[in-house]
Amino acid sequence: MPTYAMFTDTSVCTGCRACQVACKQWNELPAEGAEWTGSYQNREHFTDKTWRLVRFAEKPSEGGGVKWLLMSDVCKHCNQAGCLEACPTGAIYRTEYGTVMVNQDVCNGCRYCVSACPFGVITFNKDTGRVNKCTFCNDRIHNNMPTACAKTCPTQSIQFGERGVLAEKAKKRLADLQKQGVKEARLYGVDEDVLGGLNAFYLLLDKPEAYNLPPAPKLPQRHVVADSALSIGSALLLGLGALVSFRERGARSGESEGEGQP
Amino acid sequence: MSFLKSPQWEWYIVWYFFLGGIAGGAYFVGAIADNFGGKRDEEVAKSGYLLALPLAMVCGALLTLDLGTPTRFLNMLRQFKFWNPMSIGSWGIGAFGGFAFVSAVLSFARDARLVWLRKNIGKVGSLFGFFLASYTGVLLGSTARPVWTDARFMGALFLASGASTGIAAIGLLSYLRGADLGESWYKVKKADSFAMVVELVLLVVFLGTLGSSGRAIWAGTFAAPFWVGLVGVGLVVPLALSLTLRPRVGQAGRLAALASILILIGGFALRYVIVFVGQS
Repeated sequence: MPTYAMFTDTSVCTGCRACQVACKQWNELPAEGAEWTGSYQNREHFTDKTWRLVRFAEKPSEGGGVKWLLMSDVCKHCNQAGCLEACPTGAIYRTEYGTVMVNQDVCNGCRYCVSACPFGVITFNKDTGRVNKCTFCNDRIHNNMPTACAKTCPTQSIQFGERGVLAEKAKKRLADLQKQGVKEARLYGVDEDVLGGLNAFYLLLDKPEAYNLPPAPKLPQRHVVADSALSIGSALLLGLGALVSFRERGARSGESEGEGQP
Repeated sequence: MSFLKSPQWEWYIVWYFFLGGIAGGAYFVGAIADNFGGKRDEEVAKSGYLLALPLAMVCGALLTLDLGTPTRFLNMLRQFKFWNPMSIGSWGIGAFGGFAFVSAVLSFARDARLVWLRKNIGKVGSLFGFFLASYTGVLLGSTARPVWTDARFMGALFLASGASTGIAAIGLLSYLRGADLGESWYKVKKADSFAMVVELVLLVVFLGTLGSSGRAIWAGTFAAPFWVGLVGVGLVVPLALSLTLRPRVGQAGRLAALASILILIGGFALRYVIVFVGQS
């Protein structure tokens, strides 16, 4: 099975939000009403009903004006996925195409995954009591169709395809842009340094922070072993303290020699 | 980092962390008193076991209620992800409940063979007690949320708090049910003082490793519950009482009960501050 990916080239995004609409239509996600975010961006963050979101980041330009940094954002379908690691029920799983899915029948609404996503993507749905996020159009890709957002994008800012092929495309596009003098251009999530590689990766025109992306996200579960070891150490210490306190030592009186001082 | 999403864990979870810590702490302290203490310490053990059972049941209820649809708790039992705190936590609290039930029943035993059985079950059950009191800290530490994600020693700190509040609850329950602890009161006091000293040290280490993100705990909205509730009422005052007063046997119980209430308030403040600071 090929590993599928989406490559979002922000340098050609026009902010039309056709992707956002296509996502809503294909996945039958209801409208949520407009939200004033201070810019054309709507909504401010991903929600349980907004899985594609065009970000409108403002940046002061040299001439004293403001220029847009446009970026169509989506679940990254990380190779090291915090949500998938966090899920205790097995509802979140990796498909044969390398994407990360939530099985709605199995999710029990514990929200641990919500706290474990370094991108703030996966969201609790109060109506169903379960979590939602981008499915990578699981029904479409299993029927040899590209994701709805990629299919709709009029400027090919969002491209769908096999990960290896797209990664090559992304690197070539970056080289072209740099040749044209776009010094700030960079790739995000193509290589393994970001959570083992993202299956939705980006070409950015500025630092990741400018797009509300964490510069160096790490797997949230990386400290479980160390934290557990420290807890075991604490258990030994406190167990020993209790043992020494309660141990019978002959007919020693409890009143003697400053009780209570460890 | 405002784009990160909060799991919206609120009061059910605060109460669960608090009561789970007491249940685990009371159980393992009770079992240690049962196994290594004298005849009179059996009353301490009994209080510990009798606390653990109802608290474990309340904990289970809180967790299932938090899911909104309680029967969905069963979905947790589809898998055993031993590296995942939430997964082993679900199994662990079930196992702990089983041990707490058997130990509570056997705490009424007179027969020597049953007492032997209770002591040995207590040894194994203690492992689950330690686990229940600490895994919640490890669980929060393996998220992407601010403060939590930087916090090492959180499981260790929760365990120390579970011990101090567990012993406090044993003291309070023993006092309320008029148990004849006699000189065992001094042992309870000694064990609790030790737990509080460890908790204080771990608290300092915990805040030290947090560095600047710890400001949210000790300088922001949570400064009052942290300094007054946890540090003052929960640790410094009961520790000072314990180290300075030398009550006679007749008064030791009353003093222990008073200190217990303060320690329990501190334990609740700790869970309240930690649970909400990572979501604000």
